[in-house]
Amino acid sequence: MDTKKELLDILDEILGLNGRAAQLTADSPLLGAIPELDSMAVVAVLTSLEERFGISVGDDEIDGATFATVGSLLEFVEGRLAA
Amino acid sequence: MAAEPFYLGAGSARRFCLYHGPATGVAPCGAVVYVHPFAEEMNKSRRMAALQSRALASAGWAVLQIDLAGCGESAGDFRDAAWDAWLEDVELAVDWLAERAGFRPWLWGLRGGCLVAVEAARKIGGGFNFLFWQPVLSGKQHLQQFLRLKLAGELVRGDSRGASEELSRAMAAGEIVEVAGYDLAPALTDGLAAAALTPPGRAGRVIWFEVSTREGATLAPAALKQAAAWTAAGYRVATAVTAGPGFWQTVEVEEAPDLVAASLDALEESCRG
Repeated sequence: MDTKKELLDILDEILGLNGRAAQLTADSPLLGAIPELDSMAVVAVLTSLEERFGISVGDDEIDGATFATVGSLLEFVEGRLAA
Repeated sequence: MAAEPFYLGAGSARRFCLYHGPATGVAPCGAVVYVHPFAEEMNKSRRMAALQSRALASAGWAVLQIDLAGCGESAGDFRDAAWDAWLEDVELAVDWLAERAGFRPWLWGLRGGCLVAVEAARKIGGGFNFLFWQPVLSGKQHLQQFLRLKLAGELVRGDSRGASEELSRAMAAGEIVEVAGYDLAPALTDGLAAAALTPPGRAGRVIWFEVSTREGATLAPAALKQAAAWTAAGYRVATAVTAGPGFWQTVEVEEAPDLVAASLDALEESCRG
Protein backbone atom coordinates (compact mmCIF):
# COMPACT_ATOMS: atom_id res chain seq x y z
CA MET A 1 0.00 0.00 0.00
CA ASP A 2 1.34 3.43 -0.98
CA THR A 3 0.34 5.31 2.16
CA LYS A 4 1.46 8.70 0.88
CA LYS A 5 -0.55 8.38 -2.31
CA GLU A 6 -3.63 7.22 -0.40
CA LEU A 7 -3.25 10.17 1.96
CA LEU A 8 -2.88 12.68 -0.87
CA ASP A 9 -5.93 11.17 -2.60
CA ILE A 10 -7.97 11.63 0.58
CA LEU A 11 -6.82 15.26 0.94
CA ASP A 12 -7.54 15.96 -2.72
CA GLU A 13 -11.01 14.45 -2.53
CA ILE A 14 -12.20 16.05 0.72
CA LEU A 15 -10.71 19.47 0.10
CA GLY A 16 -11.81 19.54 -3.54
CA LEU A 17 -8.29 20.28 -4.81
CA ASN A 18 -8.98 18.89 -8.31
CA GLY A 19 -5.70 17.01 -8.56
CA ARG A 20 -3.56 19.72 -6.95
CA ALA A 21 -2.75 17.39 -4.05
CA ALA A 22 -0.56 15.33 -6.39
CA GLN A 23 1.90 18.23 -6.44
CA LEU A 24 2.25 18.33 -2.65
CA THR A 25 5.52 17.11 -1.14
CA ALA A 26 6.41 16.13 2.41
CA ASP A 27 7.43 19.74 3.11
CA SER A 28 4.17 21.25 1.83
CA PRO A 29 2.40 23.14 4.62
CA LEU A 30 -1.25 22.16 5.25
CA LEU A 31 -2.99 23.89 8.16
CA GLY A 32 -3.03 27.63 7.57
CA ALA A 33 -1.68 27.24 4.02
CA ILE A 34 -4.61 25.47 2.35
CA PRO A 35 -7.72 27.60 2.95
CA GLU A 36 -10.06 24.64 2.37
CA LEU A 37 -8.52 22.86 5.37
CA ASP A 38 -10.62 24.36 8.17
CA SER A 39 -11.35 22.59 11.44
CA MET A 40 -14.38 20.78 9.97
CA ALA A 41 -12.29 19.54 7.06
CA VAL A 42 -9.69 18.29 9.56
CA VAL A 43 -12.45 16.18 11.12
CA ALA A 44 -13.54 14.85 7.71
CA VAL A 45 -9.93 13.92 6.86
CA LEU A 46 -9.59 12.08 10.19
CA THR A 47 -12.81 10.14 9.55
CA SER A 48 -11.59 9.10 6.11
CA LEU A 49 -8.20 8.06 7.45
CA GLU A 50 -9.89 5.90 10.11
CA GLU A 51 -12.25 4.23 7.65
CA ARG A 52 -9.71 3.76 4.88
CA PHE A 53 -6.79 2.51 6.94
CA GLY A 54 -8.89 0.76 9.60
CA ILE A 55 -7.29 2.75 12.40
CA SER A 56 -8.84 4.47 15.38
CA VAL A 57 -7.60 7.89 16.40
CA GLY A 58 -8.06 9.19 19.94
CA ASP A 59 -8.99 12.86 20.10
CA ASP A 60 -6.10 13.59 22.45
CA GLU A 61 -3.54 12.04 20.10
CA ILE A 62 -3.56 14.84 17.56
CA ASP A 63 -3.10 18.58 17.49
CA GLY A 64 -2.33 21.34 15.02
CA ALA A 65 1.22 20.07 14.61
CA THR A 66 -0.10 16.77 13.22
CA PHE A 67 -1.66 18.72 10.36
CA ALA A 68 1.26 21.16 9.93
CA THR A 69 2.67 19.57 6.77
CA VAL A 70 2.04 16.59 4.50
CA GLY A 71 5.09 14.98 6.09
CA SER A 72 3.84 15.39 9.67
CA LEU A 73 0.44 13.93 8.80
CA LEU A 74 2.01 11.05 6.88
CA GLU A 75 4.29 10.31 9.80
CA PHE A 76 1.29 10.18 12.12
CA VAL A 77 -0.61 7.75 9.84
CA GLU A 78 2.43 5.53 9.33
CA GLY A 79 2.98 5.46 13.09
CA ARG A 80 -0.60 4.28 13.60
CA LEU A 81 -0.33 1.65 10.90
CA ALA A 82 2.84 0.28 12.50
CA ALA A 83 1.28 0.25 15.99
CA MET B 1 -41.75 12.06 -14.43
CA ALA B 2 -41.72 14.53 -11.54
CA ALA B 3 -41.44 13.27 -8.00
CA GLU B 4 -44.57 13.50 -5.88
CA PRO B 5 -44.02 15.21 -2.50
CA PHE B 6 -46.42 14.34 0.34
CA TYR B 7 -46.64 13.78 4.07
CA LEU B 8 -47.14 10.41 5.72
CA GLY B 9 -48.80 10.57 9.13
CA ALA B 10 -50.03 13.62 10.99
CA GLY B 11 -48.99 15.93 13.82
CA SER B 12 -45.72 15.03 15.47
CA ALA B 13 -45.63 11.84 13.39
CA ARG B 14 -45.78 13.79 10.11
CA ARG B 15 -43.00 12.62 7.77
CA PHE B 16 -42.02 14.29 4.54
CA CYS B 17 -41.81 11.87 1.62
CA LEU B 18 -40.92 12.04 -2.05
CA TYR B 19 -42.43 9.35 -4.25
CA HIS B 20 -40.85 8.63 -7.61
CA GLY B 21 -43.37 6.54 -9.51
CA PRO B 22 -42.11 4.00 -12.07
CA ALA B 23 -42.02 5.27 -15.64
CA THR B 24 -44.90 4.14 -17.79
CA GLY B 25 -44.09 1.89 -20.75
CA VAL B 26 -41.40 0.00 -18.82
CA ALA B 27 -42.13 -3.30 -17.10
CA PRO B 28 -42.22 -2.64 -13.33
CA CYS B 29 -39.19 -4.06 -11.63
CA GLY B 30 -39.60 -3.52 -7.95
CA ALA B 31 -39.59 -0.93 -5.20
CA VAL B 32 -36.92 0.83 -3.17
CA VAL B 33 -37.06 2.81 0.10
CA TYR B 34 -34.20 5.25 0.56
CA VAL B 35 -32.84 5.80 4.07
CA HIS B 36 -30.76 8.97 4.31
CA PRO B 37 -27.56 9.41 6.32
CA PHE B 38 -27.02 11.26 9.55
CA ALA B 39 -27.04 15.07 10.06
CA GLU B 40 -24.87 17.06 7.63
CA GLU B 41 -24.21 14.03 5.43
CA MET B 42 -27.92 14.05 4.60
CA ASN B 43 -27.70 17.60 3.26
CA LYS B 44 -24.57 16.93 1.24
CA SER B 45 -26.11 13.87 -0.41
CA ARG B 46 -29.54 15.22 -1.40
CA ARG B 47 -28.55 15.62 -5.02
CA MET B 48 -27.17 12.08 -5.33
CA ALA B 49 -30.28 10.64 -3.69
CA ALA B 50 -32.44 12.52 -6.19
CA LEU B 51 -30.31 11.44 -9.17
CA GLN B 52 -30.47 7.76 -8.18
CA SER B 53 -34.19 7.90 -7.41
CA ARG B 54 -34.93 9.40 -10.83
CA ALA B 55 -32.68 6.90 -12.61
CA LEU B 56 -34.45 3.99 -10.90
CA ALA B 57 -37.91 5.41 -11.56
CA SER B 58 -37.23 5.81 -15.27
CA ALA B 59 -36.15 2.15 -15.38
CA GLY B 60 -39.44 0.99 -13.85
CA TRP B 61 -38.77 1.10 -10.12
CA ALA B 62 -41.00 2.73 -7.52
CA VAL B 63 -38.84 4.75 -5.13
CA LEU B 64 -39.79 6.36 -1.84
CA GLN B 65 -37.54 8.83 -0.03
CA ILE B 66 -38.57 9.54 3.54
CA ASP B 67 -37.17 12.24 5.85
CA LEU B 68 -36.78 10.54 9.23
CA ALA B 69 -38.21 12.14 12.40
CA GLY B 70 -36.59 15.49 13.15
CA CYS B 71 -34.76 15.54 9.80
CA GLY B 72 -35.28 17.52 6.60
CA GLU B 73 -38.90 18.57 6.15
CA SER B 74 -40.38 16.11 8.65
CA ALA B 75 -42.04 17.15 11.91
CA GLY B 76 -39.95 17.76 15.00
CA ASP B 77 -36.54 19.21 15.72
CA PHE B 78 -33.42 17.11 15.62
CA ARG B 79 -33.39 17.09 19.43
CA ASP B 80 -36.71 15.18 19.35
CA ALA B 81 -35.29 12.55 17.01
CA ALA B 82 -35.17 9.11 18.60
CA TRP B 83 -33.56 5.98 17.20
CA ASP B 84 -36.70 3.87 17.71
CA ALA B 85 -38.80 6.48 15.92
CA TRP B 86 -36.42 6.28 12.95
CA LEU B 87 -36.87 2.50 12.77
CA GLU B 88 -40.64 2.99 12.88
CA ASP B 89 -40.38 5.56 10.09
CA VAL B 90 -38.64 3.01 7.87
CA GLU B 91 -41.38 0.50 8.65
CA LEU B 92 -44.00 3.12 7.77
CA ALA B 93 -42.26 3.80 4.46
CA VAL B 94 -41.93 0.10 3.65
CA ASP B 95 -45.62 -0.55 4.34
CA TRP B 96 -46.75 2.44 2.29
CA LEU B 97 -44.54 1.59 -0.68
CA ALA B 98 -45.37 -2.13 -0.66
CA GLU B 99 -49.04 -1.20 -0.79
CA ARG B 100 -48.56 1.39 -3.51
CA ALA B 101 -46.11 -0.49 -5.75
CA GLY B 102 -47.13 -4.08 -5.08
CA PHE B 103 -43.53 -5.15 -4.37
CA ARG B 104 -41.72 -5.72 -1.10
CA PRO B 105 -39.21 -2.86 -1.19
CA TRP B 106 -35.44 -3.05 -1.20
CA LEU B 107 -33.82 -0.95 1.51
CA TRP B 108 -31.25 1.47 0.11
CA GLY B 109 -29.08 3.29 2.60
CA LEU B 110 -26.21 5.73 2.51
CA ARG B 111 -23.59 5.81 5.30
CA GLY B 112 -25.45 5.83 8.65
CA GLY B 113 -28.70 5.26 6.75
CA CYS B 114 -27.49 1.68 6.15
CA LEU B 115 -27.40 1.15 9.91
CA VAL B 116 -30.96 2.50 10.25
CA ALA B 117 -32.09 0.26 7.37
CA VAL B 118 -30.51 -2.88 8.80
CA GLU B 119 -31.79 -2.31 12.32
CA ALA B 120 -35.27 -1.55 10.93
CA ALA B 121 -35.17 -4.78 8.91
CA ARG B 122 -34.24 -6.69 12.06
CA LYS B 123 -37.23 -5.15 13.81
CA ILE B 124 -39.72 -5.66 10.95
CA GLY B 125 -38.53 -9.19 10.12
CA GLY B 126 -39.43 -11.23 7.07
CA GLY B 127 -36.27 -10.65 5.01
CA PHE B 128 -35.07 -7.77 2.87
CA ASN B 129 -32.73 -6.99 0.02
CA PHE B 130 -30.27 -4.15 0.59
CA LEU B 131 -28.41 -1.59 -1.47
CA PHE B 132 -25.59 -0.14 0.62
CA TRP B 133 -23.71 3.01 -0.32
CA GLN B 134 -20.48 3.40 1.64
CA PRO B 135 -22.09 1.81 4.70
CA VAL B 136 -21.06 2.71 8.21
CA LEU B 137 -20.15 -0.55 9.96
CA SER B 138 -20.32 0.56 13.56
CA GLY B 139 -22.78 3.01 15.08
CA LYS B 140 -20.42 3.56 17.95
CA GLN B 141 -17.56 4.71 15.74
CA HIS B 142 -19.96 6.81 13.65
CA LEU B 143 -21.17 8.61 16.77
CA GLN B 144 -17.61 9.15 17.93
CA GLN B 145 -16.70 10.68 14.59
CA PHE B 146 -19.72 12.97 14.75
CA LEU B 147 -18.95 14.10 18.29
CA ARG B 148 -15.47 14.98 17.09
CA LEU B 149 -17.04 17.85 15.13
CA LYS B 150 -17.66 19.54 18.45
CA LEU B 151 -14.03 19.21 19.35
CA ALA B 152 -12.75 20.35 15.94
CA GLY B 153 -11.50 23.73 17.15
CA GLU B 154 -9.88 22.31 20.29
CA LEU B 155 -8.48 19.41 18.29
CA VAL B 156 -6.54 21.69 15.98
CA ARG B 157 -5.26 23.70 18.93
CA GLY B 158 -4.30 20.49 20.71
CA ASP B 159 -6.42 20.98 23.84
CA SER B 160 -9.32 18.63 23.17
CA ARG B 161 -8.90 16.47 26.27
CA GLY B 162 -10.91 18.68 28.64
CA ALA B 163 -13.70 19.27 26.14
CA SER B 164 -13.79 15.57 25.29
CA GLU B 165 -14.19 14.59 28.94
CA GLU B 166 -16.93 17.19 29.49
CA LEU B 167 -18.81 15.83 26.46
CA SER B 168 -18.63 12.25 27.75
CA ARG B 169 -19.82 13.38 31.18
CA ALA B 170 -22.81 15.29 29.75
CA MET B 171 -23.87 12.35 27.59
CA ALA B 172 -23.48 9.86 30.40
CA ALA B 173 -25.71 12.14 32.52
CA GLY B 174 -28.42 11.94 29.83
CA GLU B 175 -28.10 15.58 28.81
CA ILE B 176 -28.78 16.86 25.32
CA VAL B 177 -25.50 17.89 23.70
CA GLU B 178 -25.18 20.26 20.77
CA VAL B 179 -22.77 19.29 18.00
CA ALA B 180 -22.32 21.28 14.79
CA GLY B 181 -25.81 22.78 15.09
CA TYR B 182 -27.50 19.45 15.92
CA ASP B 183 -28.97 18.75 19.36
CA LEU B 184 -28.34 15.11 20.20
CA ALA B 185 -30.65 13.44 22.70
CA PRO B 186 -29.79 10.18 24.48
CA ALA B 187 -32.86 8.60 22.81
CA LEU B 188 -30.97 8.93 19.54
CA THR B 189 -27.35 8.42 20.52
CA ASP B 190 -27.99 5.31 22.65
CA GLY B 191 -29.67 3.53 19.73
CA LEU B 192 -27.04 4.67 17.24
CA ALA B 193 -24.18 3.55 19.48
CA ALA B 194 -25.72 0.08 19.75
CA ALA B 195 -26.35 -0.30 16.00
CA ALA B 196 -24.12 -2.49 13.85
CA LEU B 197 -24.14 -3.53 10.22
CA THR B 198 -24.71 -7.19 10.96
CA PRO B 199 -27.05 -9.39 8.91
CA PRO B 200 -30.67 -9.60 10.06
CA GLY B 201 -32.15 -13.10 10.26
CA ARG B 202 -33.78 -13.93 6.93
CA ALA B 203 -31.28 -13.76 4.05
CA GLY B 204 -31.71 -11.85 0.81
CA ARG B 205 -29.45 -9.96 -1.54
CA VAL B 206 -26.90 -7.29 -0.71
CA ILE B 207 -25.38 -4.87 -3.20
CA TRP B 208 -22.53 -3.08 -1.48
CA PHE B 209 -20.80 -0.09 -3.06
CA GLU B 210 -18.00 2.15 -1.99
CA VAL B 211 -16.78 5.09 -4.04
CA SER B 212 -13.21 6.19 -4.50
CA THR B 213 -11.24 8.61 -6.61
CA ARG B 214 -8.29 6.20 -6.58
CA GLU B 215 -7.69 4.03 -9.61
CA GLY B 216 -7.98 0.30 -8.97
CA ALA B 217 -9.30 0.91 -5.45
CA THR B 218 -10.56 -2.02 -3.43
CA LEU B 219 -13.19 -2.12 -0.70
CA ALA B 220 -11.81 -1.00 2.66
CA PRO B 221 -10.45 -4.05 4.51
CA ALA B 222 -12.91 -3.63 7.38
CA ALA B 223 -15.80 -3.56 4.90
CA LEU B 224 -14.58 -6.72 3.15
CA LYS B 225 -14.52 -8.53 6.46
CA GLN B 226 -18.05 -7.39 7.30
CA ALA B 227 -19.34 -8.33 3.84
CA ALA B 228 -17.96 -11.84 4.39
CA ALA B 229 -20.12 -12.10 7.52
CA TRP B 230 -23.23 -11.34 5.41
CA THR B 231 -22.22 -14.04 2.92
CA ALA B 232 -21.72 -16.49 5.77
CA ALA B 233 -25.23 -15.66 6.99
CA GLY B 234 -26.64 -16.77 3.61
CA TYR B 235 -26.96 -13.44 1.81
CA ARG B 236 -26.02 -13.13 -1.85
CA VAL B 237 -23.49 -10.33 -1.61
CA ALA B 238 -21.98 -8.31 -4.45
CA THR B 239 -19.37 -5.69 -3.60
CA ALA B 240 -17.70 -3.13 -5.84
CA VAL B 241 -15.88 0.18 -5.80
CA THR B 242 -17.03 2.79 -8.30
CA ALA B 243 -15.16 5.90 -9.35
CA GLY B 244 -16.30 9.10 -7.70
CA PRO B 245 -15.87 11.52 -4.81
CA GLY B 246 -17.12 10.97 -1.25
CA PHE B 247 -20.05 13.25 -2.03
CA TRP B 248 -21.57 13.00 1.50
CA GLN B 249 -18.59 14.79 3.01
CA THR B 250 -17.01 16.96 0.33
CA VAL B 251 -16.80 20.71 0.92
CA GLU B 252 -18.76 21.40 -2.28
CA VAL B 253 -21.79 19.33 -3.35
CA GLU B 254 -20.44 16.66 -5.70
CA GLU B 255 -21.90 13.93 -7.91
CA ALA B 256 -20.79 10.36 -8.49
CA PRO B 257 -22.56 9.37 -11.73
CA ASP B 258 -20.73 6.03 -11.95
CA LEU B 259 -22.28 5.00 -8.64
CA VAL B 260 -25.76 5.81 -9.94
CA ALA B 261 -25.18 3.81 -13.12
CA ALA B 262 -23.65 0.83 -11.28
CA SER B 263 -26.47 0.77 -8.70
CA LEU B 264 -29.08 0.84 -11.43
CA ASP B 265 -27.31 -1.99 -13.31
CA ALA B 266 -27.05 -4.13 -10.18
CA LEU B 267 -30.72 -3.70 -9.30
CA GLU B 268 -31.79 -4.27 -12.89
CA GLU B 269 -29.72 -7.45 -13.03
CA SER B 270 -31.49 -8.66 -9.90
CA CYS B 271 -34.91 -8.42 -11.48
CA ARG B 272 -34.37 -9.00 -15.19
CA GLY B 273 -31.51 -11.46 -14.85
